[in-house]
Amino acid sequence: MSALRSWGLRPSDVNGLLAVPSGQGVGAIDIYTHEKLGAELGLQPAFAETLNAGGASFAIMVGRAASAIRDGLADSVLCIGTGKFTKPTSGSAEVMARMISEPDFEIGYGPFIPALYALVASRFMAERGATSADLARVAVSARQWALRNPRALMHDRGAVTIEDVLGSRMIAEPFHYLDCSVPCDGGGAVLVTTAEKARRLTQQPAYVLGYGEAHSHGSLSSADDRLIDTLASRTGADAFKRSGLSQGDIDVAMLYDAFSVTPLILLENLGFCARGHAGRFVQSGAIDPDGSLPVNTNGGLMSFGHTCESSGMSLIVEGARQVMGEAGDNQVAKARTALVHCYGGMMYEHATLILGQSQ
Amino acid sequence: MSGGPIPEVTPVNQVYWDGTAVGELRIRSCKACSARFRFVSDWCPKCWSTDLGWDVASGRGTVRTKTVVHMAPYESVAARVPYVLALIELAEGPTMMSNIVECEPCSVTIGMPVRVTFEPRGGLKLPQFKPA
Repeated sequence: MSALRSWGLRPSDVNGLLAVPSGQGVGAIDIYTHEKLGAELGLQPAFAETLNAGGASFAIMVGRAASAIRDGLADSVLCIGTGKFTKPTSGSAEVMARMISEPDFEIGYGPFIPALYALVASRFMAERGATSADLARVAVSARQWALRNPRALMHDRGAVTIEDVLGSRMIAEPFHYLDCSVPCDGGGAVLVTTAEKARRLTQQPAYVLGYGEAHSHGSLSSADDRLIDTLASRTGADAFKRSGLSQGDIDVAMLYDAFSVTPLILLENLGFCARGHAGRFVQSGAIDPDGSLPVNTNGGLMSFGHTCESSGMSLIVEGARQVMGEAGDNQVAKARTALVHCYGGMMYEHATLILGQSQ
Repeated sequence: MSGGPIPEVTPVNQVYWDGTAVGELRIRSCKACSARFRFVSDWCPKCWSTDLGWDVASGRGTVRTKTVVHMAPYESVAARVPYVLALIELAEGPTMMSNIVECEPCSVTIGMPVRVTFEPRGGLKLPQFKPA
């Protein structure tokens, strides 16, 4: 709201609305979230819906909004995510487990989100040679960024070392407590509008240069060969092709990090690293502040915070802020471009967004 | 290791649980394209044919990936920690989720050969895997 007001916008200026459903954390998905938010904000949009593709929803919202604008359905689409993370110790954990597994077959085996990601991580480590210390190094980097970002949940918690991560209690091998993102409540929004209108609102808009989206399976059992060779390779390639950019042109990467392993997988799948090289890439400090490819510059889900159903919104907001030069204390110098990658499920569905300072 | 969440038996998946009750691990097969899959649905996900049969899997497979769960995520598995959650690649092709039982959790490795066993639970027989 503060951004919309600072841009001098009124409710009548926003004619598109996309929202993610609230209530996922308690197993009560509200598919009418856009109606309630629209009413609260006093909007009467020509284009609106509640859409859900898990963590991928946020890059997808921007993609949908851009399409709607190109099609002339709307010229200013507000994309909103709000999330509430119920404590996993409450009865909601089993509700969630039934929701994220194949209810007919899998619930009997005690699946839950960290364990399902752990299955992906174990396979990645076995096949690509990544180590627990490599995973831990991702958490170390995320915290370095959070220490620079006063808005990050872990801003005041001090640095963590690889030893701290490996010494924290084991949740589901190979994940220790500090390999996991930090659950919290929160939300965010971005306004997707025409280039012309964006230039009137702000000196430096973030232009949508490329977009790619792909969906495949709905459970790990049906992942086939996409368990660690995820569709990120396809959405990344599509987004790069449409933007006319390549990996070397990207100044900031926001890579959905529900767990420490996923940025490693995405660095390889998106072509920033050769297969089997992500571990040594992060160990070299490449993704840290002052590294060659700053990753998750707000602290990521691991140290900024994981806001449940609005998780990926913080990645989009940060990617846009970096390109707009509005990232504050954690601003990367010369952030001309940002790649934002969000995925849903246990990396079942993907969307890649490339933002830039010039069209 | 005892108890745990109980899968819901529905008219659609009943035939699967009827199979496990008599010691059979049943998988779907497509008569049109020979695809084999686990989903209980009335069409083949590869070719959309509705000409389907049931195969009895050999019960042999390998561990495609695994994790040892140390923190009980919910009450119904509290008595089971530490337990091994795994994806098993069946000899017939399809992959299924399971626990690896009757062994030390830390002894389970990716690529390890396993075979099915059936755990009585809540009136059902739940397929589980143990070292072959």
